[in-house]
Amino acid sequence: MKFSRRDFLIRSACCACGAASGALLSPGLPGLERLLRAATPSAAIPSGDNSPEQERISPALYYEKLEELKIKCELCPRECTVADQERGYCGVRENRLGTYYTLVHSKPCAIHTDPIEKKPLFHFLPGTLAYSLATAGCNVECRFCQNWDISQFRPEQVKSTYLPPDDVHKQARRTGARSIAYTYSEPVIFYEYMFDTAKLGAETGTRSVMISNGFIQPEPMRELCKVLDGVKIDLKGFTENFYKEYCSGELKPVLDTLELMKKEGMWFELVVLIIPSLNDSEEELRSMAKWVAANLGKDVPIHFSRFHPTYKLKNLPVTPVKTLDLARKIALDEGLHFAYVGNVWGHDGENTFCPGCGGIVIRRIGYKVLEVNLKDGACVSCGKVIPGIWS
Amino acid sequence: MHTRRSFLGKILSSIGALLGSGKFNKSVSSFLTTGPLYAGTPAVPPPRVVISRDMNVFSSTGSTDGDRIDRLILGKMLDRAMEELIGPGAAEAWSDLFSPNDVVGIKVNCLAGKGLSPHTELIDLIVDRLAAAGVSKRNIIVWDRTGRDLERAGFRINRSGEGYRCYGTDNDYPTEELEFAGSVGGIFSPIISKYTTAIINVPVMKDHDLAGVTLSMKNFYGAIHNPNKYHDNNCSPYVADLNTHRFIKDKLRLVITDALRAQYHGGPSFKPEHCWNYSGLIAARDQVAHDRIGWNIIEEKRKTAGKPSLADSKRKPSYIERAGELGLGESDPDRIEVIKT
Repeated sequence: MKFSRRDFLIRSACCACGAASGALLSPGLPGLERLLRAATPSAAIPSGDNSPEQERISPALYYEKLEELKIKCELCPRECTVADQERGYCGVRENRLGTYYTLVHSKPCAIHTDPIEKKPLFHFLPGTLAYSLATAGCNVECRFCQNWDISQFRPEQVKSTYLPPDDVHKQARRTGARSIAYTYSEPVIFYEYMFDTAKLGAETGTRSVMISNGFIQPEPMRELCKVLDGVKIDLKGFTENFYKEYCSGELKPVLDTLELMKKEGMWFELVVLIIPSLNDSEEELRSMAKWVAANLGKDVPIHFSRFHPTYKLKNLPVTPVKTLDLARKIALDEGLHFAYVGNVWGHDGENTFCPGCGGIVIRRIGYKVLEVNLKDGACVSCGKVIPGIWS
Repeated sequence: MHTRRSFLGKILSSIGALLGSGKFNKSVSSFLTTGPLYAGTPAVPPPRVVISRDMNVFSSTGSTDGDRIDRLILGKMLDRAMEELIGPGAAEAWSDLFSPNDVVGIKVNCLAGKGLSPHTELIDLIVDRLAAAGVSKRNIIVWDRTGRDLERAGFRINRSGEGYRCYGTDNDYPTEELEFAGSVGGIFSPIISKYTTAIINVPVMKDHDLAGVTLSMKNFYGAIHNPNKYHDNNCSPYVADLNTHRFIKDKLRLVITDALRAQYHGGPSFKPEHCWNYSGLIAARDQVAHDRIGWNIIEEKRKTAGKPSLADSKRKPSYIERAGELGLGESDPDRIEVIKT
């Protein structure tokens, strides 16, 4: 029997949750399949039922109506002009007779319960779980996308289930998750679902974090800042050429998003996937680190992650550890306080070091937190305040 | 031992003998009518595009309830098109292109619903002609992106019952089968990549707000899982690049555009106020030439309707010229033989 990667992920999620119930997570945690069945008692799991009678669509936010039933989407900087019956670049927002709809509200195609460290968010409730979900679709196309089998597909091409915002919170509570993570594909394109779910956090006490490329217009981002508790942005490189050639995107709007979040007081961390020969030059890494220090501050955590060949970029090798070491060194040299190495388990750069005394305040291996030497958000050794969301 | 000069002399003598024997015409004819359509075709007579029209083909029209088509007239239009395109007779033409061993996919374009999709009557006639050429109806698949689009256009989904099969690709895109064609990377519908040996493309003729026009080549956007990624820059070079893929260029044997009703503005969705009854079929084997002629027709209609040219509307379908540059076919209208019948 042959499995697609998509099937594998779904099955893995079930297995992981099942295993987690007896090991990693709290005792008695139901497996994913049970969670989904509880959330959708009338639906097969995952049914992939995309029949018209099962189709649920919601009006989209942020678009302008144009002549001849066209619309201009104003959610992301791509600003697609979309004719009647057509979809934007993301593939999940459709114009029907001059009204723009999202086809993915409450229709996740991937649900997992992950350690928050997997996002990665290292300064956000360490050692807790994040109930993580995604829908199909993305507003860019990275040639190295690890989740392309959902991000580069349309909603009707993937198996999804119906899980409205209040059920997301119920399931998150059942898993013991402290937060809900909008992740895997690109949450900007399921903006309405993310917003409505995050908004409920004020009632339920479950936090919300967005794992995003940051390719979003200022106004919707500003509104998101009112309901989110943390953000991780993939800063994919530091040249417009890289964004254009390898991501079908643009750098400038991402930098604008970062500055906006800084201004709004949002907690955020950066991840840079270091790809051999494409975005790993010392010059590029240094200019990036300088920009971050100057515009976002020295306390913004930055993670340099290891690339593995995938999707449309299979001709390059895995990132050498020494390149990641160099990137981290450059960031530290430029004054950034929290530079990490990602996707290299057991690396010293997985730990959080106190900028005051140099001691380890959080010791990690992979996604597991081994030791936390923080008290009220400060280093227990020297009392230096460590920025982040700790409780 | 041969010198270079004597070798060339013998070659020229042989060609002369071949021409004199009358075998040449048959050889060329055979090459033109049975081979796949791909780049590198030797210099031969200009590609032929046949426009077969009859203003009486509509018994009555209804933009929402569908049209009443005079099947007899439509059948004659189809037969005339095939005779002129392939010859010598319609039946022989179908037999020249398709064998009983073929599994034939008929790609339609049903995005615009019943008002502006290929008519089921035309598909029925094509299926009948294929069957007469020995292709089992069970080996004929009428397909599009989704079953839903097909049903909205009046087709009946049939995966395993009697008669020809009819279904959409829907979510059947195997992730392990990512394919590349120039700037395009996507997963093809297994209907074109695996299930069929030959393709007949049956698009409609209409305006497209991003591509300029959508005819034959653009219709293959419905054969990949991620067409939404390839609409920038008026879909160029993406449409042309996609059509260089072997699944398309090696399997496409015939284009028959349903231009009974066409749309010159406001596409790709159905806008009855911008439609007209062209009452025609457009047949070709060179889909670049086909699209170039279709583009001309739409431009002419736009002009008479007082609309600016597609170039002035900033949506010139430059992908057609790009396809010509790639050797997929002829994009210069002066080098295309247009036969009107």
